[in-house]
Parts: sequence; structure tokens; C-alpha cells
Amino acid sequence: MSLDVPIERHRLDNGLRVVLSPDRTVPVVAVNLWYGVGSRNEVPGKTGFAHLFEHMMFQGSAHVPKNRHFELIEKVGGTLNATTWFDRTNYFDNVPSHELELALWLESDRMGWMLPAMDQEKLDNQRDVVKNEKRQRYDNQPYGDWGERLQKLMYPEDHPYRHTVIGSMEDIDAATLQDVEGFFRTFYVPNNAVLTVAGDIDPEGALDAVARYFGDITSGAPIPALPGKLELEPKLGTTVRDHVVAEVPLPRLIMAFRTPPFSSDEFSVSEVCHALLGMGSASRLHRSLVRERRIAKSVMSYQFPLLTGASMFLTWATGYPRTDLAELEVALAEEIEGLRGAEQGEVDRAIALAETDFVHALEHAASRADQLSMFELYFDEPDRVNTMLDRLRAVTVDQIRSFAEEHFGPDNRAVLAYEPGAARGDE
Amino acid sequence: MSVLDRTSQPRSGPIRHFDFPEVERRSLSNGLDLRVARLTRLPVVSVRLFMRSGESALGLDRSGLAMLTADALDGGTRRRSGTELAQAMEGIGARFGASGGWEGTSASLYCLADRLSEALPLLAEAVLEPSFPEDEVARAKEQHLAGLRQRNMDPGSLASDAALARYFAEGVPYARSGDGTEESIAGVTRDDLRGYAEVNYRPQGGGLIVVGDVDTAEIAEMAEGCFKDWTGSPGSVADFEVVPASTERRVLVVHRPGAVQSEIRVGHVGADRLTPDYFALSVANMALGGTFTSRLNLNLRERHGFTYGVRSRFSFRTRPGPFEISTSVGNEVTAAAVGEILAELRGIADGGPTDEEVSSARDFGAGIFGLQLETVGQIASRVSQLVVYGLAEEYYREYRDRMRGITTADAAAAARRHMRPDEAQVVVVGDADVVGPPLEKLGLGAFEMSRGQPVD
Repeated sequence: MSLDVPIERHRLDNGLRVVLSPDRTVPVVAVNLWYGVGSRNEVPGKTGFAHLFEHMMFQGSAHVPKNRHFELIEKVGGTLNATTWFDRTNYFDNVPSHELELALWLESDRMGWMLPAMDQEKLDNQRDVVKNEKRQRYDNQPYGDWGERLQKLMYPEDHPYRHTVIGSMEDIDAATLQDVEGFFRTFYVPNNAVLTVAGDIDPEGALDAVARYFGDITSGAPIPALPGKLELEPKLGTTVRDHVVAEVPLPRLIMAFRTPPFSSDEFSVSEVCHALLGMGSASRLHRSLVRERRIAKSVMSYQFPLLTGASMFLTWATGYPRTDLAELEVALAEEIEGLRGAEQGEVDRAIALAETDFVHALEHAASRADQLSMFELYFDEPDRVNTMLDRLRAVTVDQIRSFAEEHFGPDNRAVLAYEPGAARGDE
Repeated sequence: MSVLDRTSQPRSGPIRHFDFPEVERRSLSNGLDLRVARLTRLPVVSVRLFMRSGESALGLDRSGLAMLTADALDGGTRRRSGTELAQAMEGIGARFGASGGWEGTSASLYCLADRLSEALPLLAEAVLEPSFPEDEVARAKEQHLAGLRQRNMDPGSLASDAALARYFAEGVPYARSGDGTEESIAGVTRDDLRGYAEVNYRPQGGGLIVVGDVDTAEIAEMAEGCFKDWTGSPGSVADFEVVPASTERRVLVVHRPGAVQSEIRVGHVGADRLTPDYFALSVANMALGGTFTSRLNLNLRERHGFTYGVRSRFSFRTRPGPFEISTSVGNEVTAAAVGEILAELRGIADGGPTDEEVSSARDFGAGIFGLQLETVGQIASRVSQLVVYGLAEEYYREYRDRMRGITTADAAAAARRHMRPDEAQVVVVGDADVVGPPLEKLGLGAFEMSRGQPVD
């Protein structure tokens, strides 16, 4: 099966990249913006700021009072949100197609005219909201600090992936209105953004509307270089460990590997490795650890699509109360290293499942738009949406075997273990 | 380029007409209710097989059995092992799953349309011929028990579970979570699962829903081939009245030492899915806590910064499920947040939503309905609601008009009938030493502190 998502690319004079992808079968349109800024752009003392700033983007702009963006989109039956990640921040509005201009008006107003609406009260309010988000999603959750701990194992002191997207309470507390202004002027400029409009549109009319709403936003200076030292050794060099005794319900072992960045050709090989290990219940980890050996309640694998220096390939196994963490580690490592002997049959299964999941993701205008924005922002190549499956299909068994040989050994391993018990209070 | 006037919002474009897809209905020779919707946008298909045998029909001593049996369906069939079943499904790119819920058990399938003729027989085999091998049952059981342990240490689940027991009287199935208890699961044997499936996985009262790039006649033939010898009605039938645990307002604090946040639940017995107030109540609830710009969220999040988010919802079931407001807030503002929640609840129950709130809420409800019909899975899940709750075939065609037809008076009346601040049960899971005293001082009603059961 081949994919043919229609794609048009444009660039406005102010540098804004525009991707249009019509599909008129359902009267829905997704307006999706990716800004090329994330937690990797944060300097020491300002961790968590990219995410706090994302919250401030919902606090109104020159022509849109606080909460009006939500009110107007909800009133037409739309949905909206935003997320912040290591390498980018995305904003999305999904609306009935006759409300396309409403979404363009709202997004362009905050891209161009956010600052006049900012004040200390709004910053203090969203600071509280974000601190509660941190408590709810991380501090008050069993295993909630795994990301923070793993990033510290995987990336050196001065690398921009060393700290989490949510940041530290102290840094969130220290954020000022001057920071908001500086961040906006530096990063929230049309030449650092991609706008995708996907769904029920006439491309010509949509482009005209985009130009009307976004065309007069002033371009910014070139984006400053990333802070810190970006170069990384391709491997960790050894097995690095963190053993945590905490009030968690079940033992959990997280095993991660430094792998080539998203931009590398090898990334599709690690994508297939992920599918072999953790996708579906015939996958290696599930079959062996959960079903046959019954030492894990659940398993998962995931790979971070990261750009800077190295990506992170992650597996984890959650044990039973009786499970021994050392035994779990050996079993997990065995299965992952076992990819050195991967077989064609399991690769076929993994590709078949990946195909289904991929077509499923394309059913939503919102996720089509999100992928198009990503590929345009990262690689200037939105057409990867159409070629990605072919890239996966082209991966050979030999490539998988040598990838496993190269990257999944004990010389490139981070092991984070959670052992149930009374917290020792190491902070 | 002429200068754009940014001061007012753009005018809407012309609305494109869009209908819920045509659903064809057939009855198979064994009585199974087949519903097919054809959607040719992408070459995929979504399938739901619904059987009317769920947790509602189980007493406390057997609670969790419907869920566990469904989970164990991946353990294999008379013809193949669990791994072989998974390989057969996934080898053709099919996603298969089964889950037990309050109203029944559903097996679901998602695959490329040209694989359906291979995948549907596999689904039928998994549901009609499960073998429940000893080791697979042991695995499913241990996974389930470990899951209960995780729930017991997750502050959100802990709060939700504690709250259910405060809303519903003892003995009402809804007074517990659908997962069952350690006691009810620990004793389950392979024969229990086999017996449960044998007695309850039956076609009468259920349905087969197929949505995607398919042809109804072909599907009917395919389904007939898979299910024709399958007969009978589920043996366990839900038979209970919903009774509230209390009609007095009460407060329960469950101690979680050192918690950095409090999980708050405020609620009581709500309404059933077929209530004539469904649309009016949905509108009232959106105004209270169903959207970002609802009263609760604007108050607790955007005005006070107490929380990352707060919501209210009615769980409409065949019998009245819970109505619940839920949020998590910082320790120091816990009592203040509970006070604000009850004030907002009283405001909407006594005064109803405003004209503007009603107009926004019904526009949201009518608009988002269309937005959520993009995928074959979304449509299949809507169609299966028709079967589960016995809604009229024309229900979705009328949906938006009925939503838009709700008046301010309708919403106010529904809020008055179904939202009762004086009967609300307040449950807080947090550090009782910190949040307990200020909560007690609010004087909301009978106050109780639970130091909780030790987890081990």
C-alpha cells in the first residue's frame, strides 16, 4: 500500500513556512504551528521556561483578551492545545472547516501581538498553574521522576537534554516578565515557525487567508545557537546506573541506550527495532518477559525522536512484587541483545503492524498536520509523511542485527531501577 | 496588501453540510444485531463485537471477573496458543483487543480493509473458542492483581475509588471500581473464566459493528460464516437498583503522608443514559466543568491558580452512574479549592447557567460532535453506543438539532434536578495532617479521616 497525502509548500516573505494538505471528505480543518524552540534552548537557571512560555501564549494578545481564544474555539465545537518538547513547541486548533479564518486570526494575533497583553498577574497565575502541573504529573506520581533521572544518566552536564521540559520549581519561580519578552522576540518569530493547514480546504483560498493574517508579522533575527556543548560521544562508554528506593507499587527497570539522532538515516532502523521489541503482543519483550517467563507485568519500548547529538532508545519492564530487579535486568538485556539474531518473519510482522498504526494516525487531520509540521520544521521535507513507510520497509534484517550489535551492548546502557520501599529521601 | 482589521473576529465561512454516515442494519441467522457503515476515505476498517455481559451483573464476590476474562482472551484458543494468536493477528497488521466494562464485554479489531476476511475469523475464534490455558490464566490474574496494587498507590485512582464508595450504597456494583478487589480476583480459577465465557459470551442482546471501506452484503456473509453456530443469551443479568450511600453531605480525608498535592473528588449519584434530561444536563455540565472555559476551570485554574485543571462529568450508564467533579490542587489551597468547588456547584444548581453559557455549550456540543467523526474507530464506537444503550437508529442524525434545541430554562431545570450540592460527598486524598484541619473547619458536614489500609 502506498500513501499519497497531498502536500503544497510555500514561504511567506517574513520567513513563515506554510504547508497545505487538502482532504475534503470531512468538514474539519487542522491548523497546526510548530515553533523551533523547546527545552533545549533554555539556558541554566531558566529550565522549564519554554513550557511556562507556552502557557503564557494562552493568556491573550493585543486583540484577544485572556481566555477568549479558548471561548471562541470551544464555541464553534473546536479543540485546541499546545505541547512543549525538547526540540520544539506546537500549537493546534482543530475546527469545523468554515471556521478556518477564526483559527488563523487567533494564531496570528499571538504570533505577532502577544506582548501588549502580558502583565505580572497573568505570569504569577500561570506560574502557579505550571507548578501544580509539575506536582500532579511528576512529583505526586509513583515513578514521576524517571525522566529527570534518566536524562541525567544519558546526557552530560552541559548538554541541552540534561534537564527536563517541566524544569525546576526554583527556575519556574525565578521567571520574569522580561524573560517572557526576550523569549518572544527571540524565538516566536515567523522565520522560526511552520504553519500547516490540513483538511477541508481549497489550497488557493487557504494560502490567501494565511498570507492575510500572517503576512504582516515582522520577521525576527536569526535564531541564536543552542546553549551548551552539543557534541556527544556516540555511546555512553559503559553501563551507567541509578537505583532508586521509593514508594512505588511495583519494581520497574528502565533500560536506555544512546542512539543516532532523528536526522540520521539509521533512525528508521531503530524504529523497526522498537517495533520488534515492544509493538504488539507478539513482540519480543511481551512474548518473552510477560507471557513466557512471567517476570514482568508489562513492558514497553519507545524511541525519542531527538535532534541534538544523540537520541534515546528506551525500554522498560514493570515487575511483580516478587520480581527480582537483577533478574529482570538480565532478561531485558538478553531480549534486546537478541536482536543480533533477528529473523525476517518477525520483521514482516512488525512492519505490517507499523503500517496499520501509521494509516490510523493519518485518519485525523490533526495528526496529519502535526506530522507535516514536524517534517517541514526538522528536515524541510514534509513529503516524509508519504515516504516513511517505504523507509521502514527498506530496513533489512542485516541492518537490524548490526544496529543491535553496535548500540545495544553493555558499553552503551543506562539502567534506572525502581525498588519498592520507604523513600530514602536523597534530595 | 490592505491593512487587516484585527480588532474583531473573522466572519464564519459557509457551513458545509455533513451527516452521520448511513448505518445499515441486518440480523444474522443467530439473532446477532449487525450494523455496518461504509466509509471509503482510507482503506481501513474498525470492528466491535459487543456482548451484554459486564461488571454490572456481578456481585462484589465476583467483581472484576468480566474484566479479567476479557483480558485473558489473548491467552489462546482451542486451535492456537496465545503467542500464535498474536502472531496470526499482527502478522496481517491487525490490532485486536478485548475489554470488560460495566455494560458488557467488547472485542475490537482494527486493520486494513483487505485483511478483514482473515482477521474477522480470528476475532471469532478468540471469543468463541478460548482455551484459557493454565499458565496464561495465571499470568492474566497476576497482572490484574499487580494492576490493583498500582491503583492503590496512585493518588488519583485512590481518590476515585474511595469516592465511589461514598456515592453508592454498599452492594450497588457502581460503589466499586470495575477492576474488582484483591479478594475477588485472588480466588479466581481457570474454570471460573471458562465458565464465565461459556455462560456469558452469547450473541443475544449484543451486536457486531463494522465501519470502514467495506460492503454490507459481503460483511453479512463473512459474519454469517464466523458466527452462525453461536447462539443463546448471556446468563448473568444485571439486576439492582441504584441507591445513594447518603443524602447528607459528608467529607472524607484519606491520609497519604507527605503528599505534595491533594486529589479532590466531589460528587453524588448522577443520571442514566436514557434520561430525557440527557442533552440539557450535558449543556449544564459543560457550563459547570465540561470545557476549558467552564466556571470551575476559570475559577480554580485561571483565577486562583489552584490547579492544572478541573472537570466535572456525568457517567451515564444503563442505570445512574456517578456525577463527579475532580481535580488535584496544592496542599495549602485544598480547603479553599473545596470551598470554591461547592460554591460553583451551588451556583449552577440554584441559578442554572446563563444564556451566554448555554449558547456556548450547545454550540460546543453540536460542533465537536461533527469533529469527532473523522475516523472509522470513532464512528464504530458511536454506533456501538446505539446497541449498548438501546438508542434509536435515528439518534445521531438528530443529535446536533437536539443539542442546539436546549434552552436556558431546560439546562437550569436539569441542573436543579441532577446537581445537589447539599448531598455532595467530598473526598480528599492528601496529607491529612496538613489539609485535614482546614477542611474540617469548613464545616461542610460529617467529617471523617481515614489513615488508610497499609498497602502490604
